[in-house]
Amino acid sequence: MHILIVEDDRKTAAYLRKGLTENGFVVDVADKGEDGLFLARTGDYDLIILDVMLPEQDGWSVMAGIHQSGKPVPVLFLTARDSVQDRVKGLELGADDYLVKPFAFSELLARIHSILRRGPGRNADILRITDLEIDLPRHRAMRGGKRLDLTPKEFALLSFLARRTGEVLSRTLISEQVWDMNFDSDTNVVDVAIRRLRRKVDDPFDKKLIHTVRGVGYVLEDR
Amino acid sequence: MFLKTAEETKDRRPAWTRPGGWSITGRLTVLYTLSTVGMFLVATGLLYWVLVSDLEKADKQFLNDKIRVLRAILREHPDKAEGLEEEVSSAGAYDVRVLDQEKRVLIETPGMVYILPVPLFPAPIGPNEMPVAGVKWKSSRGRSYRVVSAWAEVGRSIQNQRLLQVALDITSEQTLIIGYRRRLMVALLGGILFSAGSGIAVARRGMRPVKEITQTAERITAAQLHERIDPARWPKELTALATAFDQMLDRLQESFTRLSRFSADLAHELRTPIHNLMGEAEVALSRNRAPEEYREVLESSLEEFAKLSRMIDGLLFLARAENPECTIERQTVEARKEIETVADFHDAVAKEQGIEIACEGAASLSADPILLRRALSNLLSNALQYTPRGGRIVVSARPVADLGVEIRVKDTGSGIAPEHLPKIFDRFYRADSARSPFPQGFGLGLAIVKSIMDLHGGAVAIQSEPSKGTTVTLTFSSPS
Repeated sequence: MHILIVEDDRKTAAYLRKGLTENGFVVDVADKGEDGLFLARTGDYDLIILDVMLPEQDGWSVMAGIHQSGKPVPVLFLTARDSVQDRVKGLELGADDYLVKPFAFSELLARIHSILRRGPGRNADILRITDLEIDLPRHRAMRGGKRLDLTPKEFALLSFLARRTGEVLSRTLISEQVWDMNFDSDTNVVDVAIRRLRRKVDDPFDKKLIHTVRGVGYVLEDR
Repeated sequence: MFLKTAEETKDRRPAWTRPGGWSITGRLTVLYTLSTVGMFLVATGLLYWVLVSDLEKADKQFLNDKIRVLRAILREHPDKAEGLEEEVSSAGAYDVRVLDQEKRVLIETPGMVYILPVPLFPAPIGPNEMPVAGVKWKSSRGRSYRVVSAWAEVGRSIQNQRLLQVALDITSEQTLIIGYRRRLMVALLGGILFSAGSGIAVARRGMRPVKEITQTAERITAAQLHERIDPARWPKELTALATAFDQMLDRLQESFTRLSRFSADLAHELRTPIHNLMGEAEVALSRNRAPEEYREVLESSLEEFAKLSRMIDGLLFLARAENPECTIERQTVEARKEIETVADFHDAVAKEQGIEIACEGAASLSADPILLRRALSNLLSNALQYTPRGGRIVVSARPVADLGVEIRVKDTGSGIAPEHLPKIFDRFYRADSARSPFPQGFGLGLAIVKSIMDLHGGAVAIQSEPSKGTTVTLTFSSPS
């Protein structure tokens, strides 16, 4: 997977490149809007991460230029101002998603995965991770052949983790996707919900599937 | 909202009636002087008029008497010339002339012809007409006269008539009147000057309290916000101003205190995590360690950073909400649905703590759904923190007549002591930070709830009774 980062802040660009490279992406960085637009037009990218606050040619015009070139490449834009107008403008210009600076890296990673996954396919009805089996249409989860007794929200939480297996999911993303709570909250609700889910999914079994990544979030995977 | 063009704002009233044109002292002085001068003018004018008309009346009376006497002489003694001669020659202040029907002078006061020639007399009145007013005349030598002429019968015959011309010297009267007028003018001028002077003094004296209030106000700085004007010291008219000013100072002082406490709290809240970060990093770097230990430090730092980042987000939210340009995206939402969504979110925590959350009522309102959920979530999170096991939290919505929609979050928790209630919506204010079982909060939750309600033009109220429970009421006004 090939990602282009257009970002003028060197430190941000450096850690994004490092983090994304370590997560298996091939990363190019442009620190000017002009260079970014040139690379986007000539190169073959799966995703462009675009900062809208660029010197000289700003992100909006880069975005417009990318779309004029007729390449159907998804764009995720980064903005420091989280005003509604900015978001609306970006999405109207054809961006696929946005993140407000400062953001957690895990958050960015999750959004990149979700944009790249939007293509056709990969919508399996039954998810299997080792001996865990989730039947999405029937809202049923089994582990080791035994049916797990989950509340609807617990099932939603488990299937969200399972669908993104191997990805570290932040608390913010979890509360947004599972409970539709689109704001950062100080509460430990997600931790408590995960603790309760673990009691049903992991505690009766030797092999643990739900792991805590300290300071970042949670991941469901076969370790 | 209502932008005025330069033309519209231009006040066309004269400067002294326009607020902000002249000083109050100037205006008071002018008005005071004008009214005194007016009074003076009326009084002196009246006096002058009375004097002049009295003198005139006396003159006319005298002239009429003279005509009457002359007519009587001519009627009763047409043959004797002595009576007439006596009248004509004995004249002191007046001159008399008698003419026949052809206007030939029969007899006159000696020298009269040089001063008062025949033609200057007005048209005579008939022989039986009375009284006669006459006219004023000024001679070339500067003497003033009142002159009359009248026909008189000689004997009882109507055919034989004489023309009487009488002139009264009124020079001394005129001199008196002119002198009087001059003295009145002097008095008037003096009066105007005096009243203008005293007007300034009176106005200045009257305005002195305003000046003193200004001086008191000037003394007040951020460091002396405790100073007050004290309404009791001022005249009645200024008490309202002084009271309003003191109240404004009260509010300012309170905001100021809140603001400085907020800064202090902010510094304190920032200091703890930053010291933790520094300390951990320092200790970690003090010697070589295994990779797991470094990892441990980084993870711990990440937790602290996340905490700081959330706190800054909260503060930014509050700062943005205070910006008057900040607007919200309203839509019609079903309160019950939002309440249930939020209750669902907190369900895991409630179950873990053995607390029941009940949702009641229904209402639809116009609000930003994300902000509404955030407010409700903060309230529920607080309620869960302070409600003991086995407790119950009721979140209810109901339409209120004329007021819009009311959403209540009622718990059976530990409650809040009354002394904390007024400050409970302040940033970083925590009623009992030490006893809080969940130290992850920053004390911004209720401040955020309040600013969300402010953004909606609504209100938040809190009632609490220690050890019985707390009720927070959100009131959304109906969209107008």
